[in-house]
Amino acid sequence: MTEFKSVVCPICGCLCDDLEITVENNEIVKMKNGCAVCEAKMVYGYKSEERILKPMIRKDGKLVPVTMDEAIHKAAQILVDAKYPLLYGWSSSTNEAQRIGVELAEELGSTLDNCASICHGPSVMATQEIGIPTATLGQIRHRADLIVYWACNPWTSHPRHVERYTAFTEGRFEKSEWKNYMLKLKGETGKKKIEAASKRLGQYSPPPRPQVCMVDAPPKSIQKMGRKMIVVDVRKTKTAEAADYFLQVEPNKDYEIFSALRCLVNDQELDIDKVGGVPVDYLKDVADAMINCEFGAIFFGLGLTQSLGRFRNIEVAIALTRDLNRRTKFVISPMRGHFNVTGANIVFAWQTGYPYAIDFSQGYPQYNPGEFTINDLLRRGDNDATLVISSDPGAHFPKSSMQNMMKHPLITINPDMNAISRLGDVVFPAQWCGIEYSGTAYRMDSVPIPLKKVVEPPPGILNDQELLERILNEVRAIKAQKTEVQTKVKGEVRSAAKTVKKTAKRTKRKVA
Amino acid sequence: MAEILVKNGFVVDPTNKIDGEKMDIAIKDGKIVKKVNERKAKIIDASGLTVMAGGVDIHSHIAGAEVNMGRLIRPEDHYKDAVRKTKLTRSGTGYSIPSTFVTGYRYSTMGYTTVMNGSFAPLKAKHVHEELNDIPLLDKGTYPLLGDWWFVLENLAKGDIEECARHVAWMMQSTKGYAIKVVNPGGLESWGFGHNVHSIDDQVPNFCITPREIVRGLIKVDKMLNLPHTIHLHTNNLGQPGNYKTTLDTMRAIEDLSTDGKPVAHITHIQFASFAGDDWGKFRSGADEISKYINAHNHITLDMGQVIFTDTTTMTADGPFEYTLYTLSGHKWVNSDVETEASGGIIPFTYKKNNAVNAIQWSIGLEIALLVKDPWKIFMTTDHPNGGPFMSYPRVLAWLMSKKAREATLKRCHKKAQKKSLLPSIDRELSLYELAIVTRAGTAKALGMPNKGHLGVGADGDVAIFNINPETTDIAKKYKAVRKAFKESVYTIKDGKIVAKDGEVVDNTTPGRTMWVDVKTKQPCIINEEMKRKFREYWSIEYENYPVSDHYVKVSDKLTVEASV
Amino acid sequence: MITLTPLRNFDVPVHASCINPDEFKSKTLKEIAELPVTEGNRNLTLSDLFKIEQDKTETPSITLNGDFKKVKRVGQGMKTGEIIINGNAGMHTGERMAGGKIVINGNADSWTGSEMKAGTIEIHGDAGDYLASPYRGSGTGVKGGYIIVDGSVGNEVGCYLKGGVIKIKGNAGIFLGYHMTDGAIYVEKQCSSRTGAAMTGGKIILAGTVTELMPSFTIDSIKPKVKVDATQSVAGPFYVFLGDLADHGTGKLFVSKTNNPQLAFYEKYL
Repeated sequence: MTEFKSVVCPICGCLCDDLEITVENNEIVKMKNGCAVCEAKMVYGYKSEERILKPMIRKDGKLVPVTMDEAIHKAAQILVDAKYPLLYGWSSSTNEAQRIGVELAEELGSTLDNCASICHGPSVMATQEIGIPTATLGQIRHRADLIVYWACNPWTSHPRHVERYTAFTEGRFEKSEWKNYMLKLKGETGKKKIEAASKRLGQYSPPPRPQVCMVDAPPKSIQKMGRKMIVVDVRKTKTAEAADYFLQVEPNKDYEIFSALRCLVNDQELDIDKVGGVPVDYLKDVADAMINCEFGAIFFGLGLTQSLGRFRNIEVAIALTRDLNRRTKFVISPMRGHFNVTGANIVFAWQTGYPYAIDFSQGYPQYNPGEFTINDLLRRGDNDATLVISSDPGAHFPKSSMQNMMKHPLITINPDMNAISRLGDVVFPAQWCGIEYSGTAYRMDSVPIPLKKVVEPPPGILNDQELLERILNEVRAIKAQKTEVQTKVKGEVRSAAKTVKKTAKRTKRKVA
Repeated sequence: MAEILVKNGFVVDPTNKIDGEKMDIAIKDGKIVKKVNERKAKIIDASGLTVMAGGVDIHSHIAGAEVNMGRLIRPEDHYKDAVRKTKLTRSGTGYSIPSTFVTGYRYSTMGYTTVMNGSFAPLKAKHVHEELNDIPLLDKGTYPLLGDWWFVLENLAKGDIEECARHVAWMMQSTKGYAIKVVNPGGLESWGFGHNVHSIDDQVPNFCITPREIVRGLIKVDKMLNLPHTIHLHTNNLGQPGNYKTTLDTMRAIEDLSTDGKPVAHITHIQFASFAGDDWGKFRSGADEISKYINAHNHITLDMGQVIFTDTTTMTADGPFEYTLYTLSGHKWVNSDVETEASGGIIPFTYKKNNAVNAIQWSIGLEIALLVKDPWKIFMTTDHPNGGPFMSYPRVLAWLMSKKAREATLKRCHKKAQKKSLLPSIDRELSLYELAIVTRAGTAKALGMPNKGHLGVGADGDVAIFNINPETTDIAKKYKAVRKAFKESVYTIKDGKIVAKDGEVVDNTTPGRTMWVDVKTKQPCIINEEMKRKFREYWSIEYENYPVSDHYVKVSDKLTVEASV
Repeated sequence: MITLTPLRNFDVPVHASCINPDEFKSKTLKEIAELPVTEGNRNLTLSDLFKIEQDKTETPSITLNGDFKKVKRVGQGMKTGEIIINGNAGMHTGERMAGGKIVINGNADSWTGSEMKAGTIEIHGDAGDYLASPYRGSGTGVKGGYIIVDGSVGNEVGCYLKGGVIKIKGNAGIFLGYHMTDGAIYVEKQCSSRTGAAMTGGKIILAGTVTELMPSFTIDSIKPKVKVDATQSVAGPFYVFLGDLADHGTGKLFVSKTNNPQLAFYEKYL
């Protein structure tokens, strides 16, 4: 039995690094401190029965196990033959593997994209338009007295975010308010239980909802001293239930609401009295709470990045944060999803200058989301081969994208038989990053944290870095061979042409 | 390893007092040696060329979280300057913040072999080392930001300098840093709640301490730990009109700490700290006052932080300063606070000749560099990329070496700047010998690197050869030729290998070393459970996950020093 | 005059910034055939992908016949001459152009006329997103020139516009004229929401209906007619809105009164 302390959880962007793990017979048997999501992967998920144990190649429509060398050669051959391959994934892999990934893309002259493309890529783009006033999570824990979760639900997506970094934590300058929030949650749960019970008894009639306005007026408590939490979302989530104030907005109206808030913060009067279903008077109270806090923090999620307006939504959110900084201290931070999607952006940026949506076809990196992002490429059917690593577009992408992807060879690198691996032509097994091999990952606030290896991987399986290195070497070998053959062929052609000319001359002479 | 013999060059090596003598330089096993076997060695005919040690840059932001954020937010800056992959080199992008590989190549083709990274937040130390590993052809080091670290503030406020020193030693080891970096002492902590300190005697909110006490305390710590470099100081009120007074106050406040006539602090990018005038309208140069003080004292070294007229990206750990810049420019603004340690900010910025303030800034940098009589006290930098990208160094060198070059630029500057500039009254033109001091010998000395910046026997085999013939060229008049010569070295030799020739990388197999200081304290910093709890309270990551383990440094060059505590 | 016709359908994008009258000028047909293009990551020459014909007229113009949807960067940075595309045009057509004329007898893909300085682009079909908008992260918008679209346009058209005129005879997507500082945009039919968001100057004229107005605009007056440019003026009446207030902007948004009765409530502020 071995015990590991300060193990890092390789699931979400929080990268909680205080797990205590007990390993027996090369199996994780106990885990302390982690959330439910963490437990699902660290204790059960990684032992999945769907684990791929051998590399496979599709032959006559069926996946057949082959040797590692054969699979690597086949994959390299596909990538070299393709005119415009695409490498995608990276967010559940280590920095070390991502570095090799960039080198491989450069060697191939391919496009290179990571999962930010379908989650917080718009946040990155907004940062490029307007910058971002942000802070590490610890800074927010120590100082923030107003926390705004906008279009995200950390209670289910980043379960320990509230507990480790925001409202429930104790910082140097801010006290924890967890007791109040827990009481509130208990109250809400109780209310729901009573409602459900009376519904069963047939005595329940839902309280009449005001037709005009779905939104409750802000309570006085959002102006108080000490920690406050406001949630803005289109539906009442568990996070919203705990919050001091839940501001329910109409879908796809975030841009308008941010704009209205900006006007209010900048002391401008509005001509209209309602924005996105919210009375302007309510927004005035929210703006006041934002101005009057000592240190405010906005966290936003995919509800902003992937709804109407995409990166412009983030841009206006950042613009609001900038305006607020003229009145108080305010920061804003994206709730990055996969544990190392931030790392993918960072590694790509230091090697190429660009965070994602990169194209190497011209021999140098080019960047343009919308042109080189995976779904745009696939929708147009631009690529003629795909390599997917540590990601599952098969489960998440639109049908039109997947149909175009399936027209061409597909290479996958994933630990278990997920949707995309089932579709692959060359299927590689992989180790679980952060469980079976170590490396570095970047937390959602760009803090690097070393992942730990706690169990041994199944025999014969390479980690992402080793596998990519071998594919890269094979690609180089094939390319070198090709140029050799080409020069040879060229030489032969030339000598053949010479002989043809000579014979022609000779015949001419003869004819003469 | 191959042997190299550089023959018949004009050797300029101020450390060994060699000024343009025609002589041979022999390199073997990566080091300068007395002689090599001429038959076996590769001979470089350097006749008619100038031979210097490889350049040593004392302050340049080339890696780390802040730098990379700057890269990330500026696609419009990169796409004008794409760098193609070649058989030897990786692709990338350039302009104001080149990608890592391109940084290495471009420095190397300019004859630089050692570059020190200006700053990094200790919490993000792994990031800076990962990036340094990807910068080839250069030896590197990096300075952790310690001036506003809570452990430092608390221990200094308590007056417990020895405990503070032990913590700093722990931090130096844990983050594999090279020198103590202090940025706007007290200001970064104040910025946590959106405030700043405005003089060296302002109280830091929530901590019973003033900037004066922080600077003095850390200088004492630096001495106790025997670190190779002095503290590396970015003064308070940086970038504000009238701040030369704060700078002078800071320098006066530490006068008594130098007992042996040696420097105790390096004030970096002095240009940004030498503004006079009460507001932007009355903005003028404080170069005269600063240089007078420096000429009369020996406890400070400086670097220029010269401004170049170009589009660049400013980035510093001085969060409040970048905020001020944002309120002035309204441009895209990144602020990045780091818990318990530091802050940071980024703003893209264009320095324009027809902007009076920018043009005066340009003048200030050169004025100080020329008015400070002793070249061992002030070094050439642009605070890359704050004043301008490092690729513009040749232009700075031309301005330093040629009054004609300065006049050519000044006459195109804003009228107000022309009127206010002290440059027309300065006739000094740096010689090649002085130039070698401000770019290599002096910086190496200030950094405490005995094997760098010179060509004596035993030094590192880092050599740069430039196409300048001091016998036939009148440098002051032919400044354009000089500029060209420094832009592309004829040869750059790194660790005894020819890595660049005529502006092109010819050997990309040298990754370069990462230099860091391993401080051996007599009593180590005790990390007990109580201490670990404190770490957990202060930071959002566990103590065990904080230090940079050895595998993060590709080629480690550890300098072990014995501390006196 | 040079005529190019694709030799086959392209599967992967073709990068052909060399299709540019300035490049072709003073080159022989053979030299033109040797100009470099890429198909995906393969380096090829123009004649590998296109049939190149020359007729005797001396005008420096280029005609492209066929589907050029996958051919990117045609006419990039062109200064003189004319390109006529009889078919669809690919991305970045006429990017950074500084003069001359491009006529597209088909649809234009995204980033057409991006960062242009002068010249004319006529699109006799629909245009994609980011028509006349700058590159990522750049605030350098179109400085001048004239763009006319017969069909509809996508989202974020005319972002950071600094000058020039864009006329759209069909519909427009969201974020029309985002962050524009000068210049004029005219839309004849329907316009989606968030028009003129973050604008600080210039004018947008919406002669048709508008889905929704930004809350950060304030009504200024009602005008009977408005001038689009020197050659065209449109009869109203128009509501005139000022904005974007969030950016302290004074951009003008003209919205047809007759087609937008839902905006009548603004009149109480007049």
